[in-house]
Amino acid sequence: MSLLSLGCLRPVIKKEFRQIRRDARSLMFMAFLPAFMLLLFGYALNFDVKHIPLAVVDEDGSRASRNLVDRFRTTEYFDLKAVLPRTAAIDPVMAREDIRAALVIPPAFSDDLLAGRSPSIQLIVDGSNAMSGTTAAGYAGAILLSYSQRVTLDALERRGLTGFVVPLDTDVRVWYNPELRSARFLIPGLMAFILMVIVTVSTAFSVVREKERGTMDQIRLSSIRPLELILGKVVPYVAISLGSAHLVLLLGEVLFGVGIRGSYPLLLAAMILFLTCALGQGVLISAVTRTQQVAFLIAVLTTMLPTFILSGFVFPIRNMPAVVQAVTYLVPARYFLAALRAIILKGVGLGAIWRQFLFLAGFAALALGGSAALLRRGETERTPRRRGRR
Amino acid sequence: MPEYAIEVKDLTKRFGDFTAVNAVSFEVERGRIFGFLGANGAGKSTTIRMLCGLLDPTSGTASVGGFDIRRQPEGVKRAIGYMSQRFSLYEDLTVAENIRFFAGAYGLTRKALEGRLPWVLRMAGLEGRERSLTRTLSVGWKQRLALGCAVLHEPRIVFLDEPTGGVDPASRRRFWELINELSEGGVTVFVTTHYMDEAEYCNDIRLIHAGRIVAGGSPGELKTTVIRNPILEVSSDRVVDAMEVLQKEPWVLETSIFGTSLHVSVGDEAEGRRLVRERLAREGIAVHRLDRIMPSLEDVFIHKIEERGGAGGAGEGRP
Amino acid sequence: MKAILSIVRKEFLQLRRDPRLFPVLFISPILQLLLLGYAANLDVRDIPSVVCDLDRTAASRDFLDGFVNSGYFSVRARVGRMEDIDRFLDDGEAAMAFVVPRGFGDKLAGGKPASAMIIADGAESQSATIGVNYATIIAGRYTQRVFLEKLARVAATGAKPVQVGAEVRVWYNPELRSRNFMVPGVLGLILMIMTISLASVGIVREKESGTMEQIIVTPIRPYQLIVGKLLPFVLIGLFEAVFVVAVARWWFVVPVRGSLLLLFAMCLVFMLSTLGFGLFISTISRTQQQAMFTTIFIIMPMMLLGGFVFPIENMPPFFQAVSHVVPTRYFFVIIRGIMLRGAGWPELWDQAVSLLLLGAVLFALSILRFRKKLD
Repeated sequence: MSLLSLGCLRPVIKKEFRQIRRDARSLMFMAFLPAFMLLLFGYALNFDVKHIPLAVVDEDGSRASRNLVDRFRTTEYFDLKAVLPRTAAIDPVMAREDIRAALVIPPAFSDDLLAGRSPSIQLIVDGSNAMSGTTAAGYAGAILLSYSQRVTLDALERRGLTGFVVPLDTDVRVWYNPELRSARFLIPGLMAFILMVIVTVSTAFSVVREKERGTMDQIRLSSIRPLELILGKVVPYVAISLGSAHLVLLLGEVLFGVGIRGSYPLLLAAMILFLTCALGQGVLISAVTRTQQVAFLIAVLTTMLPTFILSGFVFPIRNMPAVVQAVTYLVPARYFLAALRAIILKGVGLGAIWRQFLFLAGFAALALGGSAALLRRGETERTPRRRGRR
Repeated sequence: MPEYAIEVKDLTKRFGDFTAVNAVSFEVERGRIFGFLGANGAGKSTTIRMLCGLLDPTSGTASVGGFDIRRQPEGVKRAIGYMSQRFSLYEDLTVAENIRFFAGAYGLTRKALEGRLPWVLRMAGLEGRERSLTRTLSVGWKQRLALGCAVLHEPRIVFLDEPTGGVDPASRRRFWELINELSEGGVTVFVTTHYMDEAEYCNDIRLIHAGRIVAGGSPGELKTTVIRNPILEVSSDRVVDAMEVLQKEPWVLETSIFGTSLHVSVGDEAEGRRLVRERLAREGIAVHRLDRIMPSLEDVFIHKIEERGGAGGAGEGRP
Repeated sequence: MKAILSIVRKEFLQLRRDPRLFPVLFISPILQLLLLGYAANLDVRDIPSVVCDLDRTAASRDFLDGFVNSGYFSVRARVGRMEDIDRFLDDGEAAMAFVVPRGFGDKLAGGKPASAMIIADGAESQSATIGVNYATIIAGRYTQRVFLEKLARVAATGAKPVQVGAEVRVWYNPELRSRNFMVPGVLGLILMIMTISLASVGIVREKESGTMEQIIVTPIRPYQLIVGKLLPFVLIGLFEAVFVVAVARWWFVVPVRGSLLLLFAMCLVFMLSTLGFGLFISTISRTQQQAMFTTIFIIMPMMLLGGFVFPIENMPPFFQAVSHVVPTRYFFVIIRGIMLRGAGWPELWDQAVSLLLLGAVLFALSILRFRKKLD
């Protein structure tokens, strides 16, 4: 493929931009969706297991048992949703997901405490969400520990023994994202998500549309080369999604105080490399499809869930089975995400992320090279007219 | 039974500030071929779309097959067949699949379909190609298939919007034969076109320009009543020069070019012949022939538009 | 009815005409579920960690062993200086670090409060949250042990430490397999994305190719067209649902404790609402491209707001309100309820009614929007 002539690109770019501007809805979506998603990420989404809906069955009904229930109620980890009369009443409520944990205090609870025997309570946890189940059990355990300590210390104090202190104080520090704020953590993911989906889908779509309408042959005869046409069609979307990505960065800074710690040029380079990958993937999809419908389906299926699930955006890659980990190497968002997190949150330089850049560049070269080859093949060998089938 | 198949009164359609159709009124007698002539953008398609219930009129009334287009749009739809300007069958279905689909859409019984299917295939000349994908057909065939699908349910009225656009002359003639057959079978055919020669096939014509009807009647009436002044046809190698010269003369009423000849409208035939020869000879323009001719519909059309001072759109109307 | 059937037949013929559509519709959901079912896993084990023991006493080793032997953390390196931790976290080689300062053992022995430090890489906030939770719980247990030991030493006073024990019962998923939770979630997302994208171009495709004009002049009524367009998608969706549920059940061995029939019935109800979204998008779009953008922009927030991984109860009221129009919100409760909790109609009817209501509103809107006019 010879060098692209910019002169040929200009009219196509202009045309696409005009069409996008006419389509006010899409433009609005492109402008505001990233902002909406950021608010969503910043305020709405987090992995904290807090406010676990809890039910209590207090078969004891003593001051001590009410005390224990208070301990659960006053933490932010549990929200007391229901007080149930019997253990049997828990099942239907939990099956509806109205509660996810239940505390059962047996009748002898306060008597045991007074007698200095260690009583036992029952904690029922909805294990269907393993993570929140484990954490709920952990929190409950911690609350019971501190309750036991308090009871013991009170007993000691009543005997005049004071001066006991809780022996260990752990100091938890979270680096890069001290408040564990989701916005901070999710901004790179959001940028990857938006860039990947918009650019891949619009590229695949715009090429197949020409095919479906039969204008591709006409273009092949004109002086515009197919790759030029594709670039021309895609430049506006690339520009708009780059704009969106910057809007996300800006809002992140203004609303959530997420500044870029590392170098901006490095960040921009990563974005452009990533966009090239997305573009290449879009062209590849268009090369193997014929209708807009199928191109759209494939593009959505290969970008949306993989970028969400296989990139390390939400689910840590190191937990995945080896085969699935191998597949993640084919997801450019994986490298992009790692690079963005390193640049934006950690402020590290190329030294720490050169591997990500290398992979991105490799993927971009492969995808673009492959699609250029496919397009050239389409250029030389006339696509045979389809005959009716019998 | 209503007296007319289609009755239109003061039908108007505005898109924002633009008035596409401006207080149009006409009637179409049953069983006639009614031609709606005009340049692109004159308001033909908008009118036809309002009559078929595809667009709501801004004001005015119309009834099609006795059904009011505003109040009884579904009645209209059962009474009519419509073939749009753009080829609009399913390109990824075969010929037979398209026919079967539209038969179902019109609610034809299986038995009725078995009767109509061979009829449509024969009419469209597609016998033996039932299993061809529609996208592989040539434009002429597609148009005939589209007509076949539009009349599957044997409507009393058929609307054809520019049915012969982009079709070669042989296919066009073939298509008009089909229209004639329909008409002989008692179907009212409402057809729009910008080909003036096709208008000759119609029983009744309206000329529409910039959203208004500018003339109407049978082709014969239009040619004899609209233009009373004689028209001279000048054959010359330099028609353009000749036109420029003659246009400036006060005794020349209208000029227009038709291929290698020039039509000149004058007040009096003998006087006109003399003046034309004299004037062109003075310029050194050789005249091969000079005859009085019957005005063509195109002459009528141009005359009418120039009469209204709206010369702009006329040229586009030529084939 | 006849009109609806002829549309259904036509849709199927068109679907068959594209040879690539079949694998996309039926093979790709299974592949996706296989791959993503494995990938979507929040079980945090073996978090790569760095240990920095500045105290080097028996007590500090004892304290640190609690983390190392828990199974949640795997030690990548032991460093002698605090500064050395930076490198591991910067490169992403480790996500957590445990630091025991000098004097830790002495203070504990002397009955004075000692302190230790847990450092987490917040750039990966889900692992960090979980890791910090685990670490805090482990540290708490250690504290309790030290406390009890100390009490034992003063046991002469006659004071007996009380300990409220907890008998923890894990219901529905006793082995706490994260997969049992995630696979139904991925299944719901796949069905949602497939059906919305498929239906969103359904009507606009005909508008764009001009065939809609031809259909409008036939006596077909708007609801007939919408239903006729929808039925093939429902059938395809149901087939897909059967496939992916089978993969979840027999490949991932997610239990199905409730009724399988109810599960499929609920899949159908769910798809009515997602297809409703698709068709609605189709009626409000002029071109396939516009429909596609609208689809993407509707699906993206829905993926996150539906309660797949981010719990809805932790969202602010505004977003909780928004989540009521997200079909997966209801479907996740239903599918996890039927599969894991063995829930049946009495527990789930309100979710099903919400889905049906959502679907009905979307259909009504689509039919109203689609007025059989060109404008």
